[in-house]
Amino acid sequence: MRKNFLTVALLAGLAGGAAAQQPADPPGPKVGDMAPDFSLSGATRYGLLQEPVRLSQYRGEVIVLAFFSRARTRG
Amino acid sequence: MEAYRDQYATLFNNGRGVVVIAISADADTMQAAWARESGFPMLFVSDPDGTVGTVYGAFNPNSRTDDRSLFVIDQNGRIAHTFRPFRALAAPDYQALGEAVTRLLPPAASEERDPGG
Repeated sequence: MRKNFLTVALLAGLAGGAAAQQPADPPGPKVGDMAPDFSLSGATRYGLLQEPVRLSQYRGEVIVLAFFSRARTRG
Repeated sequence: MEAYRDQYATLFNNGRGVVVIAISADADTMQAAWARESGFPMLFVSDPDGTVGTVYGAFNPNSRTDDRSLFVIDQNGRIAHTFRPFRALAAPDYQALGEAVTRLLPPAASEERDPGG
């Protein structure tokens, strides 16, 4: 009886795990959505920018918005 | 970032009609120093509290850093392509990124990039 219970529990766990492995859509904007605007302090190789950078100021150009984890790493 | 710098002309039409914005939770002073040291041509923006990263679904509150999500945004401000994550060491991702950008550029600009023949 206990062995059967353990077997059922194991199978249920595997099934639940299999369902959980279905890749969920990552959070954030999707293709077709308006890119959320922002205003952040900016910098270039020439130094800090005087004015904040607003995403919408580049309307009319293609924007590549690349997140990275930490400066001075490959991330 | 090094690959962005090294392939800037090829990937991003040498900046003509394209702006590359690199965003992280690093302080702007750190980003400026790194950009200067490495000669990065792109624009950096600092999101230290992860507010923007959270909106874009890129910020990890445990590590307090962003992942490598990348968004290509068209001239009307709409998301045209996403890489979740963008694999910085994968040539196919760079090719796909270049293609995603080229598709959005006016024909004259894309032809100038790739004269063919």
